[in-house]
Amino acid sequence: MIPFDRDASSADTLLTDLYLDAILAGRPFRGDDPAVAKRSRRSSAPASVPEAATGPDAAERLDPAIRAAVDRLRHDLVRVHPSFRFEERLATRLAEAATALRVPTAVGAEGRVVPFRARTATSAGDPSLGDPVDGLLGDAPEALDGDRRDLARPLLIGGALTSAALSLAGAALVAWRRNRPGSPMARAARVVRTSGAAIARPRTLRGPRRGSAGRDPSWPREPSVRGFD
Amino acid sequence: MVRPVFGRVSDATRAGSAHADGAARVAHLDRDRALVEAAQLDPLRFDALYRRYLAQVYSYAYYELGDHHEAEDATERTFLAALTNLSRFEERARPADGEGASTFRVWLFQIARNTIANQRRGRRRHPQAPLDAAALVADPLDLEGGAASRDEATAAWTAVGRLPSDRRRALVLRFVEEMSTAEIAGVLGRSEGAVRVLIHRALRTVARDLGDRAGHRGTDARGSREPRR
Repeated sequence: MIPFDRDASSADTLLTDLYLDAILAGRPFRGDDPAVAKRSRRSSAPASVPEAATGPDAAERLDPAIRAAVDRLRHDLVRVHPSFRFEERLATRLAEAATALRVPTAVGAEGRVVPFRARTATSAGDPSLGDPVDGLLGDAPEALDGDRRDLARPLLIGGALTSAALSLAGAALVAWRRNRPGSPMARAARVVRTSGAAIARPRTLRGPRRGSAGRDPSWPREPSVRGFD
Repeated sequence: MVRPVFGRVSDATRAGSAHADGAARVAHLDRDRALVEAAQLDPLRFDALYRRYLAQVYSYAYYELGDHHEAEDATERTFLAALTNLSRFEERARPADGEGASTFRVWLFQIARNTIANQRRGRRRHPQAPLDAAALVADPLDLEGGAASRDEATAAWTAVGRLPSDRRRALVLRFVEEMSTAEIAGVLGRSEGAVRVLIHRALRTVARDLGDRAGHRGTDARGSREPRR
């Protein structure tokens, strides 16, 4: 079994990371560089590891093969830029999407609550009545405090009254519509129904009247037509 | 175990109270903060962020997918998703993330990573080493030198392409996007220590691969010279 030196492995890992930091920042790697020392102190590795990864000879302790690989990848792994046509096409697409996102905000931003004045409990001489919206409007801006009591209750009561009135009016309208269908077709149907009963009765009731004394029991019973009986 | 890289902004921190624990304190370090705030207020201002990060996102997608068209698709989806969800973005940087840390960039690359994963899953396509990109590095006027550097770049690309996906991803983010360990940890959802180990192992593998290749080439060259002797 090969013993695994965890601290040594962590030191190598941290050393590679510090080397990469320096190389990618475009400065030569030196273990005693203040930036390197600061960065290694911030590391989550055990305390002994940053010490092993820093110092004047830290650069020599880095594996030469890894150093060569880093230099090679730094040169060969380049950033690729998309075509100009794609860039502009996507920019246009994003602008369209941004415009679509912007519209609801603009519509919402136009709205503003317009206060209206009304008689309040305080002005009516009954200050003992607390304001039921105190808790709701506790975080309102200071500037609104003067008008808050004037506004809050009438708004609520007015809203409730309006809602109730609308409900009652709606119910009345529905009831009226059910009793008096207003469309021309419904009126025509009602007329036909009324006049049709008078016309149809002699044709459909050919035998003696139902319930009359002279009814022939062998006579077939005519079908019952709803609305004509 | 995956350690959260970015701590949440607590209410106490928002209120401005001092924390005894420095690690838990959240500082505003996002260099893109001004641009992000402007874009959150007006989505049309997202264009500045788009221009800044287009090449980076595209490069990342290209290295992951190995195809220009697929990289364009992934880039487009990434930026559209970022624009749509920008209102939900919250800056969460720590002092440990470094002075140049951009949490917006980490957030954007998290979106890119998910987008690329979905795209790859949907198309059942496995990435190959994007060898044709090596042609971008070569100088077209220097034919001999261009061929040599293209050959070297191809070797490096192949070595990186052979890596397991998590190591390759970490390496690309480190070298191509020049991200810090903390930023890569944020993108990949791993701890900084885990990212350091990933990169160190990836470099060792690439170094061994490139060394083997150089050894083979040296043997081939000696073998081809022997008959001349």
